Amino acid sequence: MVLDHLKELYQYRNLIWNLSLSEFKLRYKNSILGYFWSLLEPLLMLTVLYLVFSNLMRVQVEHYQLFLLLGIILWNFFSRSTGIGMFSIVGKPGMIKKIYFPRDIFVISSCITALLMSLFESVVFVIFMFIFRIPISSTIMYVPLILVLLFIFSLGVSMTLSALNVYFRDMQFIWDVFMQAAFFGTPILYTLEMFPENLRTIALLNPMARIIISARNTIIYSTPATTEDMIYIGVSAIFFLVLGYAVFMKLEPGFAEEI
Amino acid sequence: MSIIEVSDLHKVFRIPHEKRNTVFETLTGLFRSSGYETFHALRDINFTVEEGEALGVIGENGSGKSTLLKTIARIIRPTDGYVRVNGKITPFLELGVGFQQDFTAAENVRTYATIMGIQKREIQAKLDNILNFADLEKFRDTKLKNFSSGMQVRLAFATAIQTNPEILLMDEVLAVGDMEFQQKCIDVLNQYRNEGVTIVFVSHDLGSVRRFCDRTLLLHKGEQVVLGDTQHVIDSYVYGRNEGEDTGQGNGGSGSLQEGNTNRWGNRKIEITGVEMYDKFGNKSVRFNSFDSMDIRISYKAHEKVLDPVFGIQLYSEKGEQLFGTNTEIKGVIIDHVEGEGHIDLKIERIPMLTGRFLLTVAVHTRDNRIYDWHDKLYRFDVYPTCRDSGLFHIPCTWGF
Repeated sequence: MVLDHLKELYQYRNLIWNLSLSEFKLRYKNSILGYFWSLLEPLLMLTVLYLVFSNLMRVQVEHYQLFLLLGIILWNFFSRSTGIGMFSIVGKPGMIKKIYFPRDIFVISSCITALLMSLFESVVFVIFMFIFRIPISSTIMYVPLILVLLFIFSLGVSMTLSALNVYFRDMQFIWDVFMQAAFFGTPILYTLEMFPENLRTIALLNPMARIIISARNTIIYSTPATTEDMIYIGVSAIFFLVLGYAVFMKLEPGFAEEI
Repeated sequence: MSIIEVSDLHKVFRIPHEKRNTVFETLTGLFRSSGYETFHALRDINFTVEEGEALGVIGENGSGKSTLLKTIARIIRPTDGYVRVNGKITPFLELGVGFQQDFTAAENVRTYATIMGIQKREIQAKLDNILNFADLEKFRDTKLKNFSSGMQVRLAFATAIQTNPEILLMDEVLAVGDMEFQQKCIDVLNQYRNEGVTIVFVSHDLGSVRRFCDRTLLLHKGEQVVLGDTQHVIDSYVYGRNEGEDTGQGNGGSGSLQEGNTNRWGNRKIEITGVEMYDKFGNKSVRFNSFDSMDIRISYKAHEKVLDPVFGIQLYSEKGEQLFGTNTEIKGVIIDHVEGEGHIDLKIERIPMLTGRFLLTVAVHTRDNRIYDWHDKLYRFDVYPTCRDSGLFHIPCTWGF
């Protein structure tokens, strides 16, 4: 059944790509300046956070700019894909009510839109890597795997949220608040070591924490990711995808009537 | 193998008395029970559609036509039973699904074509064709928000017909657009039919159903009334609804008319006791297809022997304009005398009216217009169109070129 579904999705690959791309263009209003702003946004955020945390809070971390920027880009991807993904069903009543194709196409394409936006942002990061002359080591091999797992994890969460959002329209407010809190609960601005000892274990339950830590280690610090982290990330990504798929498929039959 | 198979299909909509669609409402409402209404939109529908066949679906508003089409298109799920489709569906349910106002015509064509399932290579090749057909080449790079609604529909339609459908679902598409656009739709539909595309066509326009569909399914309040040959079903639809529902007598009155009715006068030496209309099958009806035959039977009761009476009718439009009047004297029919009960029939071979509601006056009087009984506009009937000519009535004509 799942295999059939994947086959069906493959048949719709053009549509998925087309929807992702048009959403992407729409976000930037199809203008050059729009793309420029999308680069500026993480840079401005980086500047503010850098000034605050390295000067006022005196965070002592090697390559703190890169440390921050990578964390922000990865976190932005997660928050954006769930944010856009959440509205991928409720935001398109015209399509849902008038035409059929597998509804998860909307969620998948909104996650791809978020991915495109994040890839765009990471251009800034690559430039910074060159400026700071960070050596690229073989540990970079881990990166594609980490990114794929991050995508799967985000997709799973997005599917759950998009389906629930059809039935509970205040999900978005709950999720916004949750994400605000999670931003500070995830080692984005600081290292895990700055967490109190007893809170570290709890912080590590969060898959995003391990994803960001592993990405930093492999990209910036030439340190291989720990097996424990990779397994934890892999298992949780698949767990959330299965959960998302199950919730989505359970609620999907009612979408056209509920919207 | 049937290309579409619908079996024991039921669809029930649950309409809650109090809509809860937030977490907050769900939590606070957890301990208060809230009832809901159920609405049986479709009840026990069974049919199959063979490859290359055109099936029409007709019925009044709320009879479940669109629900049925949406179920076949997989947009909504059946509550019970199943729909099996062995082929690729191209839904024409609505034109221009997914149009983005902020994108140009060309960009929108690409997206819409992808939605309609056209391959990427083909789209590029067909883009000029599409814009040409829609008469919009000049506006290729104009944003859609600057288009008129007519231009948008043309663009959508031009794109949609580029598909090579196996199964086409159409829901009242012909209802939008002007005559020219409708003609284009019909041409395309005809072309698809000739290519052997399976079509499921939902419409109120009995004329186009008659022309396109081999078989027709009639729904009434979610139930399948009849499925069969289009001509037969339409006749039963238009003619068959009146049993016990409506006698055609004005003001919802029953067979006997009340005394003191302001629409009735005369000395009642001869009393008109009833007026009935019969369709071409000889069934009593108040609904007729244009161009069909119609018989009007006037029953009377003469309380004494009356010599040389004249029976007449007058036909009015719904607005009360007189359209036609005739009587037995004008037609040279001499009734020597009447006595007791009896009836007289007026045969109309061909109803020339195209569509609308019509009022009928029936009277009996003496040759010098002293009235025995006059029923002024007390009867009514409806005429349904069977062709696409417009207006009140049909003028026989041909074009020379």
